[in-house]
Amino acid sequence: MAPVRLAKSLLGTCRAASCRPAVAWRQRGLYHSYDYAQAPPFPPAEAAILSSAYAHVPTHGFTIDALKLGARDAGYLDASTNLLPRGVFDLVNYHLVTQRLALKDNVQFFDNGEAGKKIGVGSKVRSLTLARLRANEPIINRWQEALAIMAQPTYVPASLSELAKLADEIWFLAGDQSVDSSWYTKRATLSTIYSATEVYMTQDKSADFVETEQFLDNRLADLTKVGGFIGALGEWINYTGHSTMNVLRSKGVRI
Amino acid sequence: MQASRTQIGRQLLAGSKRRIAREPYRCFSCSIRQAQQQTPPPKPPQDVRGTTHFGFETVAEALKEQRVGAVFSSVASSYDSMNDFMSLGIHRLWKDHFVRNLNPGRNPLTASPSGDKGWNILDIAGGTGDIAFRMLDHASTINNDAHTKVTVADINPDMLTEGKKRALQTPYARTPRLKFVEANAEKLDMIPDNSIDLYTVAFGIRNFTHKEVALKEAFRVLKPGGVFACLEFSKVNNPLFDAVYQRWSFGAIPLIGQLVAGDRDSYQYLVESIARFPSQTEFRDMIQDAGFLVPGKGWEDLTNGIAAIHKGVKPA
Repeated sequence: MAPVRLAKSLLGTCRAASCRPAVAWRQRGLYHSYDYAQAPPFPPAEAAILSSAYAHVPTHGFTIDALKLGARDAGYLDASTNLLPRGVFDLVNYHLVTQRLALKDNVQFFDNGEAGKKIGVGSKVRSLTLARLRANEPIINRWQEALAIMAQPTYVPASLSELAKLADEIWFLAGDQSVDSSWYTKRATLSTIYSATEVYMTQDKSADFVETEQFLDNRLADLTKVGGFIGALGEWINYTGHSTMNVLRSKGVRI
Repeated sequence: MQASRTQIGRQLLAGSKRRIAREPYRCFSCSIRQAQQQTPPPKPPQDVRGTTHFGFETVAEALKEQRVGAVFSSVASSYDSMNDFMSLGIHRLWKDHFVRNLNPGRNPLTASPSGDKGWNILDIAGGTGDIAFRMLDHASTINNDAHTKVTVADINPDMLTEGKKRALQTPYARTPRLKFVEANAEKLDMIPDNSIDLYTVAFGIRNFTHKEVALKEAFRVLKPGGVFACLEFSKVNNPLFDAVYQRWSFGAIPLIGQLVAGDRDSYQYLVESIARFPSQTEFRDMIQDAGFLVPGKGWEDLTNGIAAIHKGVKPA
């Protein structure tokens, strides 16, 4: 008994020792913490150049010119844009990251019972997605350029991971607590819907983007329809399968 | 395989023996042994005051500058063709990428009417003008900038003569945009503080006697926000490819040097100095220690790490 316990405790200490650095690293990136402030996503010099370059995007687009003008505004030189190894994509990435992180401050839900009824997770997801799309408004006429940059093969992995983080952020803020395979399907479907709506938005000429809102609602309705259909299909297969088995058993087949 | 290796070894030995007989002042006795045995470089003797390494040899600090000078004086005339042979022409792609990535030159369309026009570029160890001409071409044709200036500095007058000769075939000869100065990168007294937009050194820094001093000097001459950019041989990451590469650099390059340039020892020094140069992370840390901010992870590997581009930005 004693050796077993010793071995177990040894294993325990080993595991604890090996896990600790990994956990410390993860806490920085993957978990939402209410107790600790998140580290700023960009180092100070990069953040200074990018934030002043971002102000030039509506006029100069996501281009190296915007970066150079931004560097000059921040007190740097044209040459200092070399601080951004991915160049223009870093500017696009800045928009993606800052708008994703701004989401939790921009959208607040008051469901403490004063309105009488709780807001469902579905409608929270809808308003969060809409808020994120509205954050594209100031630069929407330049967003196609950004989509083209993000579609360059070198930057596709980084762009997709940013999309995944956005979908995760939205579901988290909506209060989703699923711990089964729907965790994945929810994030995957929301990513698809979000990116489709974003592309639609770049072409939207309607006042205050009502058509984009309509488009988003239609896609979400499709999702419930498809989800309902798949659920019903599963139920039907389950029922039919069981019935078939029982019929065969009643005929004397040994199953 | 064994037989042919011995044969090559013997040829190399014979060649070097001949050279030693002719030029006794540049005997590379220990480096030749290294080439035959193909062993990794020996550990440098730690903290011996006043000495530094010259390839795999240890020499007095005062001597290194002189001996590097001798190497480059002897390779100056065949520099370009030798580079083509040794890197199979890839060094041109590296240099093009290096310059394109730095994107020198200020486009007059976005430039404010006040303020200085063009960049002030200092190309250290750029004697033959390889990088300088590319910089000026990029500024003129891509950014429509007719003001960017390049100062080419080199410690070696023979390399500078080669560069001046080549400059005559470019539109920049005898214009204020191109200037040649003979200077040691560790003592750039003729360059004022905070005056340079972009400091480049391509395949030069590994020959410096005191790399830290040169980095400090770069930090001094750069304007706040100015960029230090270095293109240099580095360490190959993939062990399999590294084995091939080591075979090529220790087996083929001195031989090519012997056949094409008629100078084995200089190219033996070249491959040894490459093997001695710090790895990507070490050099990145040296740049940070000099006070620079490094972009991203600090370097970009070229061709699996045979060469690497290191950058640093002086904080504004």
